[in-house]
Amino acid sequence: MSAVELGYLDDPFAALFAQPQPHPYPHPQQQHPAAGPGPAALRRLPIINRGTYARTAAIDRLVTQFLADTASADGSSGGFRQIVSLGAGTDTRSLRLFSSSPPFSSTSSPCFNAGIIYHEIDFPAICARKLRAVRAAPQLRAILSEPETSSATITSQQEGQNAAPPEWWTSRGPGGSELWCHGLDLRALALAHQQRAEQPGDDNNANSSLIRGLRADLPTLLLSECCLCYLSAADAGAVVGWFGARISPAAGLGLVLYEAVHPDDAFGRMMVSNLAARGLRMPTLDVFRTGADQERRLRAAGFDEARQLTVDAVWERWVAPAEKERVDGLEGLDELEEWNLLASHYIVAWGWRGSRFRLVEP
Amino acid sequence: MSDLDRAIAQLRACRPIPEAEVRELCHKARELLIEEGNVVTVTAPVTICGDIHGQFHDLMELFRVGGDVPDTNYLFMGDFVDRGFYSLESFLLLLCLKVRYPDRMTLIRGNHESRQITTVYGFYDECLRKYGSANVWRYCCDVFDYLALGAIVLGASNTLSPSGDGEAQGSEEDIEIEVCNADGQIMSQFPRQPRGAGNSINRQPPRGRSPNGPTRLPTNTGPPGSGASGSSGGSIGNPAGAVLCVHGGLSPLIDMVDKIRLLDRKQEVPHEGAMCDLLWSDPDEIDGWGLSPRGAGFLFGADIVKVFNYKNDLSLIARAHQLVMEGFKEMFDTSIVTVWSAPNYCYRCGNVAALLELSEDEGGLGIFARSNGDVNRSDGGLIGGGSGVPGSGPRGVLMENDLASLKPGPARRYRVFQAAPQDSRGMPAKKPVADYFL
Repeated sequence: MSAVELGYLDDPFAALFAQPQPHPYPHPQQQHPAAGPGPAALRRLPIINRGTYARTAAIDRLVTQFLADTASADGSSGGFRQIVSLGAGTDTRSLRLFSSSPPFSSTSSPCFNAGIIYHEIDFPAICARKLRAVRAAPQLRAILSEPETSSATITSQQEGQNAAPPEWWTSRGPGGSELWCHGLDLRALALAHQQRAEQPGDDNNANSSLIRGLRADLPTLLLSECCLCYLSAADAGAVVGWFGARISPAAGLGLVLYEAVHPDDAFGRMMVSNLAARGLRMPTLDVFRTGADQERRLRAAGFDEARQLTVDAVWERWVAPAEKERVDGLEGLDELEEWNLLASHYIVAWGWRGSRFRLVEP
Repeated sequence: MSDLDRAIAQLRACRPIPEAEVRELCHKARELLIEEGNVVTVTAPVTICGDIHGQFHDLMELFRVGGDVPDTNYLFMGDFVDRGFYSLESFLLLLCLKVRYPDRMTLIRGNHESRQITTVYGFYDECLRKYGSANVWRYCCDVFDYLALGAIVLGASNTLSPSGDGEAQGSEEDIEIEVCNADGQIMSQFPRQPRGAGNSINRQPPRGRSPNGPTRLPTNTGPPGSGASGSSGGSIGNPAGAVLCVHGGLSPLIDMVDKIRLLDRKQEVPHEGAMCDLLWSDPDEIDGWGLSPRGAGFLFGADIVKVFNYKNDLSLIARAHQLVMEGFKEMFDTSIVTVWSAPNYCYRCGNVAALLELSEDEGGLGIFARSNGDVNRSDGGLIGGGSGVPGSGPRGVLMENDLASLKPGPARRYRVFQAAPQDSRGMPAKKPVADYFL
């Protein structure tokens, strides 16, 4: 939200899902009797806003390449393709795609953002909150149809009162696109995959119901922005394995990870300790400690190709000079050492299999 | 107990003082600072500190490690505010100490002592949060405009004073650099090597802490360095050469320290020009000048520093401004050092901090000659470096043998310290939250 308000990102939808954020400062009353109430709006520091910008730009770029490669209707899949966002939270990439918002507006292909089956997976409460926000935003009717939910009897009036959140809801977008939101703990996918490995057999029905509307015949891109890192390495692997087993090899499958790296140096040790103090643990960080580890992880998960780039390298290589100048002009970034330190501890790693699309470094 | 002492006690407990007291304090501070030149003259012994950035509890740790005011003579090179959660308490405490002990506390301006920067990086928001209005922020910014732009340290010794832990080190006379931990224990030592001897230009100084612990190399080849005179460059004047302290670095518009004195500093930090450069520039491994990626100030290379030091009869530039994970970093044959005093910067970076102690020259004090000088410092080699008096040829052209006659740096003791322990001295139970790219 901070990065949007300050002009780093052009995202007309972020405000629809914004929620009150915990203030980064200690509450003044706890320490200072003289202190008064502070401003309500949370404004993040420029270094964090630039990080948000670079990470969004990197993933947008990979998504753009995926969509461009899969846009040409060759008949076999009718020009349809699929994106699955794991732990989507209040991410707005689906809406930005459906509405052709920048950077998805600047492409030349007219079919570029048609025929996108977009799945978002997150905890049921978050899925339900997003549903309420979508229903409450009339401006979204231009790009999304009235949502249908798994529990047809639940109306917007009733759901405030102890109603169980829907397992899923869906909405149609322009050009045959669909948005699906699934209230689902990813560990259920991991469990299903592990059980399937133990008891191979025809469990397709049970698996199909886990993610309704998922198509096995479409080129599919999985996105995990700081999501799988919160699972155990085994569960994270099994979630990817679940999709790997379901999506047809001919269709092609890609995975984009955004995660922390380098827990071993002074900055990394402090990061791990600070996050632990907030109750955040990233078990995969213990296993995949470097960019090279992440590449090996992707290859081991069955992806033919694997690439990785730290966020500071994303900024250096993928952000055009004019855009860098624009972003730097917004607030200025006073300390490069700190940026290099922080941004080198976050990585975008991606891999793909099959020949349907390629995510070579643009 | 005076009002000022009471305010100091309250701020030491990390409690803000009332708005009216801030106003009065800032008024007094301004009256004091307006009398200071753009470049303040400080005599050794002095303890030089880098960025603080509102990390109040770490500032308390700094005072524990470096000694309390007024026992220790401090020089802070700016960036008192922003980023940390206690900019207000940190800056007001330093300001109180400045007003209370003006001769024992020198504050110079950093690039964060600016209206524009503080509205982005936290100090403005903090004042609003703690006082409910921007008044206190305004009072502080008015003080910022009066802070000096630099300082010249005179009378620093070529030898270290005893480090205070009683550890027998034999002869300390030939130790140029000593690194201590927060408890005063020596972690490493580096003997002085001859700067004036033929090939010494290429001398490799230690960078950061030596992994090898205490190191002693034979050093019998140079000018007197082992005697008791405490000077390898003659025994008169200011044997170690003066040290220029500035927050950022040099400016292409400033070739002589005296030109800093001519600036009109009593204003908001400009976006460009000499004053901006002094607060924003960084040394870098380049030749000459380069564009700064920060968008303000410049990058400057070893050649720039060496020519500047030579022309201004400086032995060292001490500056802050850049995070260094080891707390300090000497560059360019020890002609410039970065001192960073905010440990675990932003509660996130995992770095250690350092302060730099220069001890008092016991020998040649009293005759500072040109060195007492806010004036005529540029007047050339009246008091040369003893064995290596520069020729009287035109200044500005640095000959090889001139380089060899650069003043020897003062003996330097770095005290390296870590962030204040969480559970000590009334740290808030709730840890400040460091932000990440999550």
